[in-house]
Amino acid sequence: MRKYQPKRAALIVIDVAIVVLAAILTGFTVGYLSNYKIIMTLLLCLFWLAAILFAAILLPAYFSRTVIYISPSEISMKTGIIYVKRHHMRADAMQYVSTVTTFMSKYTGLNFVILRAMGGTMVLPFLGLDDVREVEELMRDSQ
Amino acid sequence: MTERTVKQHPLKLFSYTTNYFWLLIFPIIRSLYSISLDVNSLRVWLAGTWMDLLVIAAILIFAWRRWEHVYVKFDDTKISVTKGKIYSTCDIIYYDTISSLSVNQTLFLKLFGACTVTVGTNAGAISRAQDDISLTLRKSDADRLYARVKKSRAKSLRYSVTPNKFSLILYSFISSSTLSGTVVILAFLYETSRMFDREVEAQLIMDTLSDFVNRISVYVSPVVAGVSVVIAVGWLVSFMTNIFNFWDFSLTRCSDSLYIKSGLIERNRHILSLDKINSVDLRQNLISKLLRISSLHCDCAGYGETGRAETSVVMPIATEREINSTVAEIFPSIPSESVYHKPKLDLKPIFQSYWMFYYAPIILALLPLTAFFVLFAIFPSWRSVIRVGVIVAEVPAIWLTIVKTLAIFKTGIAVNGDYVTMRYSKFYTFHTTVVPKDRIVKVVIRQTYLQNLTGNCSAVIYTSSRGTSKHVITGLRLNRTLGFFEKNGVDLYFE
Repeated sequence: MRKYQPKRAALIVIDVAIVVLAAILTGFTVGYLSNYKIIMTLLLCLFWLAAILFAAILLPAYFSRTVIYISPSEISMKTGIIYVKRHHMRADAMQYVSTVTTFMSKYTGLNFVILRAMGGTMVLPFLGLDDVREVEELMRDSQ
Repeated sequence: MTERTVKQHPLKLFSYTTNYFWLLIFPIIRSLYSISLDVNSLRVWLAGTWMDLLVIAAILIFAWRRWEHVYVKFDDTKISVTKGKIYSTCDIIYYDTISSLSVNQTLFLKLFGACTVTVGTNAGAISRAQDDISLTLRKSDADRLYARVKKSRAKSLRYSVTPNKFSLILYSFISSSTLSGTVVILAFLYETSRMFDREVEAQLIMDTLSDFVNRISVYVSPVVAGVSVVIAVGWLVSFMTNIFNFWDFSLTRCSDSLYIKSGLIERNRHILSLDKINSVDLRQNLISKLLRISSLHCDCAGYGETGRAETSVVMPIATEREINSTVAEIFPSIPSESVYHKPKLDLKPIFQSYWMFYYAPIILALLPLTAFFVLFAIFPSWRSVIRVGVIVAEVPAIWLTIVKTLAIFKTGIAVNGDYVTMRYSKFYTFHTTVVPKDRIVKVVIRQTYLQNLTGNCSAVIYTSSRGTSKHVITGLRLNRTLGFFEKNGVDLYFE
């Protein structure tokens, strides 16, 4: 049985993206709403609170709490922060496997494996590229 | 082995046209009808409509070209459908891979001697409509195809049943609902609105409704009368649709297939492969539960998915006493304990988790109350009207509370040999679903924040199906659930 966890690099990339997005929104808000101080301050607080909530609390918790186990006969995954889910799928129920890889995903870890069974799908999120190839092979062997 | 090549019924040509075709053709026919029969009038008419006529001609030519290049071939082993000339696709389906073959003839199609033929297979995991063959054929061609598929199946007759007419009326009565009737009406209105002037249609509906309301309002207030008319008409349409669909229902079981025929005006015929039936489901609503009757459904790709009013019924109605023998005859491999009306459940809710059943009723009860306060704030003079509306809207919430209270004592999971029985309620319906263990594809243990705090959970069991088929068993204790699944080969412990 192999154990996989989301790649930390993906978390860093998403965190950076969130901070950049919050900075851009701050720029627009300051640029266009500087005459409306109260609304501007409220919006800035909202953007940065959301950014901190996601980048510093929710996403790290999600990444650290997600764990995937794959054996030739079954796939199990536990994920979620507020809404906890434990998934279990039989390998022989699998119809086919889809992989989603993004630009520079070897370094960013923004790869996904979608396991499609008749009647259900399971998404294995933020796996390293090597892990994706390994999961693909494991699934091919089990079918 | 003779191969037969047929084309679709010419009626199919109209489904290849766009909606604009109907928007254009009716005004043109109307204007043609209104002109006097002389050359000058015709010239003026042509000068005004030549562009529209060209567009109609272009739409028809494209539709005809599309229709012309669809060939259906079938022999004793397979059916193939070739579409297109420049970009050509060919779908070949062997009869032994077919899950279901449905031949439906609506009243409209009957007038033109046509039938719709739908072939369902287990392929296509993403969308229910994917990878199917759906054709409009002449009735004689559809009959030949049906006979070929039937010929490829085993001929040994094992069981045949035709429920009596009273049972079918009772089933139609019980399974009718205002909601489904309203859906049928809305679907009908949508279809007609594509062809006719919406204003005329709206006026016609309002006139008819006003007439009804005026008559009833002698006895009750206009608001109550209006709401009553909508509810009554919705229910009546649902009832009539069920009667027409299930009249003359007959089921024949051979060693490898089920043959189902039904319909009063619309004749529907289905062939289902027994080994491709994923699960069997006994369904009851509150009334049928009190009357101790249920209907037997099945999950088989393509069956019950081809029409708006179509359901996946195998046996429309059976009493609790009859249901065991019925299931034993139709699906002999299923252990009788699995479907017995009081099966021994291995996993069921306990007192600490009962509150989880009342989420939906509470939300459903709060919505009309919220709407009442909002509407009352906006329209204070409409207080009595809004109050009547809220009282009517609260009825479903009360009904759901009763259903969920009953569901507490009926929910659970049982394992009997190679079969898993899941008993749960979904909206207003009680389900007893029996599925072979090897058709369970995924199990999810779900916990909300509150459930996490209280040690409760919901088990979501996904079963083989062409689309997503999930069964949610709520109100379970986490430790017991994990232990139960581990005992049955599903390890969900992560610590």
